[in-house]
Amino acid sequence: MKKNTTLWLVISMLIVSSMVLTACGGSGALAEDPVTLNWNWGTEPPTIDPSLATDTTSVDVVGNTFMGLTRFDPVTGEVIPYLATSWESGEDADGNQTWTFTMREDVSWVSYDAETGKVSKVEGHENVTAHDVVYGVKRTVNPDTASDYSYVLYIVKNAAAINGGEEGVSLDELGVAALDDYTVQFTLERKAGYFPAIAGMWIANAMPQWAIEANPDSWTEPENFVSNGPYVLESWVHGGELNLAKNPLFFDADAVQVERVYGVIIEEESTAFSLYENGELDSTGVPSAEIDRVKADPELSAEYTQIPVPCTYYYGFVNTKEPFDDVRVRIAFAQSIDRQGLIDNVVKGGQFPATSFAPPGIFGAPEPGKVGLSYDVDAANASLQEYLDEKGMTIEDFNAMDIVLMHNTSEGHANIAAAIQQMWADNLGAEVRVENQEWGVYLDTITKDTPIEEVPHIFRLGWCADYPDENNWIHEVFNSDEGANRVRTDNADFNALTVAAGEAQDPAEREALYEQAEKMFAEEIVGYAPIYHYTAMNVTQSWVTRNFPPLGANDFYNWTVDEAARGN
Amino acid sequence: MLRYIIRRVLQFIPVLIAVTLFTFVLMRAIPGGPFDHAGDKALPPQVVANIEAKYHLDWPMWKQFLSYLIGDDLLGEEGPSMGVIRGDLGPSLRYRGQTVNDIIETSLPVSAQLGFMSLLLALIIGVPTGTIAALKQNTWMDYTSTFAAVIFLSIPNLVLAPVLIWIFAIELGWFPVATWGAKPPFFLGIFPRFSQLNANYFSHAILPVFALGTSSAAGIARLTRASLLQVVNEDYIRTARSKGLREQTVIVVHALKNSLIPVVTILGPAFAALVTGTFVVELIFGINGLGKHFVTSIGNRDYPVITGVTLIYAVVLVIANLLVDVTYAWLDPRIRFD
Repeated sequence: MKKNTTLWLVISMLIVSSMVLTACGGSGALAEDPVTLNWNWGTEPPTIDPSLATDTTSVDVVGNTFMGLTRFDPVTGEVIPYLATSWESGEDADGNQTWTFTMREDVSWVSYDAETGKVSKVEGHENVTAHDVVYGVKRTVNPDTASDYSYVLYIVKNAAAINGGEEGVSLDELGVAALDDYTVQFTLERKAGYFPAIAGMWIANAMPQWAIEANPDSWTEPENFVSNGPYVLESWVHGGELNLAKNPLFFDADAVQVERVYGVIIEEESTAFSLYENGELDSTGVPSAEIDRVKADPELSAEYTQIPVPCTYYYGFVNTKEPFDDVRVRIAFAQSIDRQGLIDNVVKGGQFPATSFAPPGIFGAPEPGKVGLSYDVDAANASLQEYLDEKGMTIEDFNAMDIVLMHNTSEGHANIAAAIQQMWADNLGAEVRVENQEWGVYLDTITKDTPIEEVPHIFRLGWCADYPDENNWIHEVFNSDEGANRVRTDNADFNALTVAAGEAQDPAEREALYEQAEKMFAEEIVGYAPIYHYTAMNVTQSWVTRNFPPLGANDFYNWTVDEAARGN
Repeated sequence: MLRYIIRRVLQFIPVLIAVTLFTFVLMRAIPGGPFDHAGDKALPPQVVANIEAKYHLDWPMWKQFLSYLIGDDLLGEEGPSMGVIRGDLGPSLRYRGQTVNDIIETSLPVSAQLGFMSLLLALIIGVPTGTIAALKQNTWMDYTSTFAAVIFLSIPNLVLAPVLIWIFAIELGWFPVATWGAKPPFFLGIFPRFSQLNANYFSHAILPVFALGTSSAAGIARLTRASLLQVVNEDYIRTARSKGLREQTVIVVHALKNSLIPVVTILGPAFAALVTGTFVVELIFGINGLGKHFVTSIGNRDYPVITGVTLIYAVVLVIANLLVDVTYAWLDPRIRFD
């Protein structure tokens, strides 16, 4: 009997205390029935700190809670004013290029109070000023911040030296300064016509110094978070959900229709798609297994959109590894890939065949098909035969060299590799062995420092735009002095060309130089075989009007949700 | 008994240190580091150096391990680590701004709730089914339960879970498609708050609990059946019957209790595996549990998270096994711990 009494006592205590705890829970209410977008972030954002963000999910949150100096037009991808109203380039006393940005004066730092559900200005820091931008840029470059994307700002005077911890260069010597409260000036290492796009990136955002210094490790938690964009961080259950609420003090708040973004974090694409079919998500990606069904279904096909994504899938050749150290072999392999056939029969997402690197929409990208080696089996065979004849080899001798194509482990990459392996066998008689490795191991294997006998002859990779300029593509990836140079090329003329293209001031001249560089790399050097430009497959409910920004964050503040239509 | 328990608990210490050391060394032996790349992009060496310096990955391995184990202050270094011995599992390298403690605090309770309910379901279905199958050996009941058990054992969750979603969530609309019905803060850090224990909570739980519970139930049923069949042929059961005891008493009091020893043995590891989260079920039902961290943190090379979740798993496992051993003494009076 005694035992039972104790047990009941424990149980009733548990019940009472859980009630007490419940009473303490509860969060502040927004406006009654806010216009809500039901969104899936897809993955837990690794961070929402502008200095540290690198991935699309983090950038989506940062882009909706902070204002960059500039932003990309969600439709055209052009650089347009945002926190800055105008900008101009000039020159300092030493002949370095400067970019001067004039900022809006009506943007406030705000914080969200979960208890009251209210957004309020931060006392003592009402306005976002040029000093906040200077702090943000310095913070990203400061080696103590340990920012992954700090290198994107290396174009700014002394940034590389400071970030690299060079002796004798202090953070104050960084090429960024507030000329007055609302004018910020950048001084560059070398001329960069594309700089306004960089200045709009999250890593160069205005950041709240006092809030960061008060909670260096936890300032991005909802209770500490301070921001200045169209939305505030309402709540964040790590790994579960992250919700945004409209910032009524945003300078353009009247134009923001979606009042709340209810964002779950569902990693499995097919589960997200089931939620969409159940009406619980307003927009989501289509898993590749569902594409045929979506296209055939009258309702779903009306909600389906195929959007070009500024990313390129390519096979890199290791240009110093026999037999790929000979350009004729590289030409043969690049020219014998039937890209359209691959897209129609294997990847099936309406991707665009690629013969050059940067996709349309990127400044300086060549017109599709204008540059590069197209599918031409005869030319490919002739090229390979010339090589074999010169070396006195037969195709059997060639195959005895055991050519390896490597990709990171994934069903999709394996299917593509198998298809292209078959194309090379059918079109050239060349036998290629396909291998795969886990992502982290793979990236380690294909770096330029791996001993030549351990790297594969051919590797697969993709590249996506950070900002819409060829500099981010042909220069940052393939310039062997500056890029990762996994293809191991060494061509001084090409390197000089991409640098000259970046420095040129006349847009027409820059475009021409980039086209020349793309042509040289795809047709003369043949360092790689571009395969296709990506597309994203999306379904969006009929009650939602949205953009598909080619670059940067999803612009929830420009979208609309028709709540009346949702009910029907 | 108390002395036995204390001795066992003291034995945990070297086991857990060994687990930590193994995980720590094995993970760092895999090529590729956490900060070599951002997505497809290789980072410049000085950027990598900055980040590695921040997380002390530039220290020699022994020092990193000691820092992880006992903390930076005891090591005579400046740094944030308090050491595992003081409950600090370190920062996540992937989710910057979150610590491993944060991650476990948010996701372990969800996994534990799901796992506990699944184990309960497994027992409720498994033990009676196995008992009936054994008592009615070679009848239609035995065959039916064997058939069902084989089916549920052999259908992987990877298949069962999407099928359940398709039938019961999308076509019939009876249950939600995904997510869990409770979110932090949890009562006592583990249990759903009283206000959360409503229809919404259970309707979210039914499909994942069913998916996870049935495969365990099948295993338990098979084991109960085999073990009970062995026990009912023992001499002491014949003795019990010859004393004139009712058949019900013979089975429940004498046979079943003894036949549960193998079942209890597998319950320890099963408990540890279920409450620390399962990758597939949590992924497919979009449940924010610990299961995914066992898998994704390896791809991310998130060393502290891998070591931390492995350690949590190890702790739950050794405790569960201790409970199993203690239960033996109750089930079989011949077993004594002194």
